[in-house]
Amino acid sequence: MSLLTMILKMSEGLGKTCAIFFLTLLFSLPLGMIVALLRMSKVKLVSAVTRFFITILRGTPLMLQLLAVTYGPYYLFGANVARNKLIPVVIAFSINYAAYFAEIYRGGIESIPIGQYEAAEVLGYTKLQTFLRIILPQVIKRIMPSVTNEVVTLVKDTSMAFTVSYQEMFTIGKQIANSQTSFMPFLVAGVFYYLFNAIVDYMMGRIEKRLNYYK
Amino acid sequence: MAGESNNSVPSILSIRRLEKSFGSLSVLKDISLSVDRGNVISIIGPSGSGKSTLLRCASFLETADGGDILYDGQYAMREGVYASKAELNRFRTRFGLVFQNFQLFPHYSVLKNITEAPILHGEDKEEVLERALSLIRKMGLTGKEKAYPYQLSGGQQQRVAIARALALRPEVLYFDEPTSALDPELTGEVLKVIRQLAEEKMTMVVVTHEMPFAKAVSNRVIFMADGLIVEQGEPREVFDDPKEERTKQFLRVFER
Repeated sequence: MSLLTMILKMSEGLGKTCAIFFLTLLFSLPLGMIVALLRMSKVKLVSAVTRFFITILRGTPLMLQLLAVTYGPYYLFGANVARNKLIPVVIAFSINYAAYFAEIYRGGIESIPIGQYEAAEVLGYTKLQTFLRIILPQVIKRIMPSVTNEVVTLVKDTSMAFTVSYQEMFTIGKQIANSQTSFMPFLVAGVFYYLFNAIVDYMMGRIEKRLNYYK
Repeated sequence: MAGESNNSVPSILSIRRLEKSFGSLSVLKDISLSVDRGNVISIIGPSGSGKSTLLRCASFLETADGGDILYDGQYAMREGVYASKAELNRFRTRFGLVFQNFQLFPHYSVLKNITEAPILHGEDKEEVLERALSLIRKMGLTGKEKAYPYQLSGGQQQRVAIARALALRPEVLYFDEPTSALDPELTGEVLKVIRQLAEEKMTMVVVTHEMPFAKAVSNRVIFMADGLIVEQGEPREVFDDPKEERTKQFLRVFER
């Protein structure tokens, strides 16, 4: 198989790689905020339960979580394994990343001085106005570097979908590598991820710059 | 007491037998005071005397344990029991608070810091903008409308904070050590603005360590120590002829 055929074949999986990437961000970024707020709940039981789930999601391999979400229903209830593996893959990724984002959000929210809340309160901002207008914009600016880190990791983590044979780029590459006994597909995959992340880096850098209008 | 002698008009703020503890530490013990229209009251005293806590109780940032807080004769707290949230929100429009460390919103321009709260309260945008611009002029900040807080000196930031509080047209303005976070050469410009407000008969309560300022600007000085009002009166009485030993002892430190 020529290098070009290899690249073309693997490119066919890029759409699915992108699907995992963008759908995971779409769901995990907001879900992480909900988890963060639950984690900071004044109701002890709520924060304790949330904290427990976060430790599980961060303390066990993503690969294991992918397998559990994809095949768990079959082993537990005899349900059919999803035809479209994208659904369990995105569910597993979103939940896992939400746990990481939640902790980043929490760190950011807790780093805002209490005086900002007090100033808003005295000025008559409601709790919701205070959070959305005063706290959240400052949190977003502060956590951008950590979020960028996670997003870059997510690009590479999409390769994990091979464990449930979802036909994204890396899975295809692995299959070619097996059939051709060649290491080449892995190098191609490496270049793909590198380029993908170069774009991610550029985009995140631009967002960070746009938030740089104040200190 | 000054506020209670005048029966026809209730004091803007009346505090009676206010108590507040942090755990086992009693910070305010039986504090009573009233603030009438046009009063400029300075609260002085050693750190840990409860001055700031008193202002924070009056502005509902701390929950007091006992006593009464009244705004315009209406109970915000009665014998340790607070009015409803909605009522407290209405009382909140009567006072403004200027913090020691400004607490401007760093992601907002000077103008937005000042205008957002009144606009959120449903005031007319044009009117708020006009008021904000005149406050900016008054605070000597013309040309800084679009600047962000980090681009300003501490003194300028504090003047923005004063404008932000005034934009809501409070009946009384509280200052919690407004110059304590400033370099000495910047305290003057902030004190000058407060003095100007005093001349315009703005009602103010100022917790301060600036004794010459307290003496010159206020018409009543309250000396607090260990959670109690030890002595109060006209600035001349308290500063030049203190009755209590604790007051004398405190003021002696400043004479050196």
